[in-house]
Amino acid sequence: MPRTKYKFNHETLSYDRIRLGLKQLVLKLFAYFVGSLFLAGLYGFIFAFIFDSPKERALKREIEQLNLQYELMNREMDNVEKVLGHLQETDDNLYRTIFESEPVPSTYREGGIGGVNRYEELDGFTNTELITETAMRLDKIRKKIYIQSKSFDELIVLAREKGEMLRSIPAIQPVSNKDLKRTASGFGLRIHPIYKISKFHSGMDFTAPTGTDVYATGNGVVKTVKSQRRELGNHIIIDHGFGYQTVYAHLDAFNVKEGQKVKRGDIIGFVGNTGLSTAPHLHYEVLLNNRYVDPALYYFNDLTADEYDRMAEIALKSGQTFD
Amino acid sequence: MPKGKKYILDKGNLQFLQHRSTWGEKLIRISLFFGVSLMLTAAYGFVFDRLFGSPKEELLNQRVEVMKLRYSLLERKIDYSSEVLADLRATDNASYRSILDLPQIPASIEEGGSGGTFKFGDLTGYMNTDMMVAVRSKFEDLRTETNIQYNSLNEITAKVEEWKDMWEHLPYIRPVNVIMPLGEGIRFREHHPVLGTPRWHFGQDFRCPIGTEVYATGAGTVYATGNGNDGYGNKVTIEHGYGYTSLYAHLSNWVVKPGQKVKRGDMIGHSGNTGVSTGPHLHYQINLFGEHVNPLSYFADNLTEEEYFQMLDYLTSPSH
Repeated sequence: MPRTKYKFNHETLSYDRIRLGLKQLVLKLFAYFVGSLFLAGLYGFIFAFIFDSPKERALKREIEQLNLQYELMNREMDNVEKVLGHLQETDDNLYRTIFESEPVPSTYREGGIGGVNRYEELDGFTNTELITETAMRLDKIRKKIYIQSKSFDELIVLAREKGEMLRSIPAIQPVSNKDLKRTASGFGLRIHPIYKISKFHSGMDFTAPTGTDVYATGNGVVKTVKSQRRELGNHIIIDHGFGYQTVYAHLDAFNVKEGQKVKRGDIIGFVGNTGLSTAPHLHYEVLLNNRYVDPALYYFNDLTADEYDRMAEIALKSGQTFD
Repeated sequence: MPKGKKYILDKGNLQFLQHRSTWGEKLIRISLFFGVSLMLTAAYGFVFDRLFGSPKEELLNQRVEVMKLRYSLLERKIDYSSEVLADLRATDNASYRSILDLPQIPASIEEGGSGGTFKFGDLTGYMNTDMMVAVRSKFEDLRTETNIQYNSLNEITAKVEEWKDMWEHLPYIRPVNVIMPLGEGIRFREHHPVLGTPRWHFGQDFRCPIGTEVYATGAGTVYATGNGNDGYGNKVTIEHGYGYTSLYAHLSNWVVKPGQKVKRGDMIGHSGNTGVSTGPHLHYQINLFGEHVNPLSYFADNLTEEEYFQMLDYLTSPSH
């Protein structure tokens, strides 16, 4: 304020010039500063309330799009999961129709992420993870002991006679079956596909497309290569020595000749549908001293204990054979 | 501001007049105050924003983080479903497609160009574009795979029906409950037992007493019945479809009519000794597209009599 101002001094009854001392000036400025700060705060608050900074605007736009995409996919995901459930059911029905038995649930059957929780009764304890982990390990070991003991009796005889035996006896699956999905009907009483009566199934079936490679399951000599239309159809018999023979039936074509020496893993023929067979598959038999034995006991070079368990379950449950 | 009234010196009148700010002056003062404070606000806001970011921003950032978490959970769901689908596909390939002679479905679909109408361009320009594009394309792939699997299962289901139907029609059992067949199917005979001349024998004989029940060996339609005076005596022929016909000769009687539909296991007549025959037996033939085939290739001789009856029971039961 440019004009000089005066104040009435009641004591001296005269007008004093108002002079602002430095202290008062500073105080005034300070008060002014504080006041404006306060106002700034108020403005800022209102401004922020009404308007967005550019960063905020970008973020809001980001969230909107993220939300949009997410909602869309989430909704659609529900549909997809429903369709998947339906597809799994259809698949099960196909299994029932073709194999005439209940399908073994795949590892993906129990709902939700992660599959079956076999150890759920252990949930809820402190150190749950540790306990579950230990139980799982014990399970694995138990299974390993079981499979070991089964093969052990066979192996103990062989181990006495060293390497050649171990290379010769059947020890792998006769077709590529790493995921065990080609496992079909196993050894023993099974339903005949046409007669529908319970009959002894002398070997194990593997479903596979016509032309799939068939392997010799142990070293040996090809004893028989026979083309025929009846019963076993085109089949090969391998003599492994030590009392063991293996039979590979319903073949589409041969890859070996009689008298030929073969090693474990050699391709000896190809899967077919010849002879009395309702579908392309390999019928595989193991004979010990001319008696049929369960081929499932002779895959120990190929399967872990877990895989063996699963295969055994599938082979057992698969009710109807293809031959 | 010192309290009390203020006075200014009126130089004209040499008087002290109370100074009252005019409205104009007050207005100027106030607006100046607001103006400066606005400028200060802007300055403070600028500095503050640079240094700290507003609380609103914090909030929004948190929301973005929550969305990212949701996306990762969604991604896990998608991954899991993809694995389920892959498992289904592998089962189908190994178990069903190989049996039904259908081509295998390959494990992976081509990269990129997954079809569909989704424009990934809509997602560009965002901070989290990469994440959205990754999850969205996984999702589109899942949808495509699901479609493929759906169509695949339809194809398989249709083929299974055909397959089952075919296997019900093919002549695949023994026509009589007799274990001992005579001879070995199709063969050339130097001396026909009755005619004496060399002749081909095109079927399989079963020695059985007159009146033994004869069964249709596969589902089909009766084509012809009766005595055609061709040496076969009383015979029945059945058409099974898929190129197959079966023939049952030297019967003593028949119990079906031409055009009648039969199922495997249905009795069609009784064996006998009619026609050119040295003794009571059934002559059984199978023709595939007109060519004679060996009936012994169509059944195994390993059913006992009892098992045969069990089989008949099943085949002729109403639920079948």
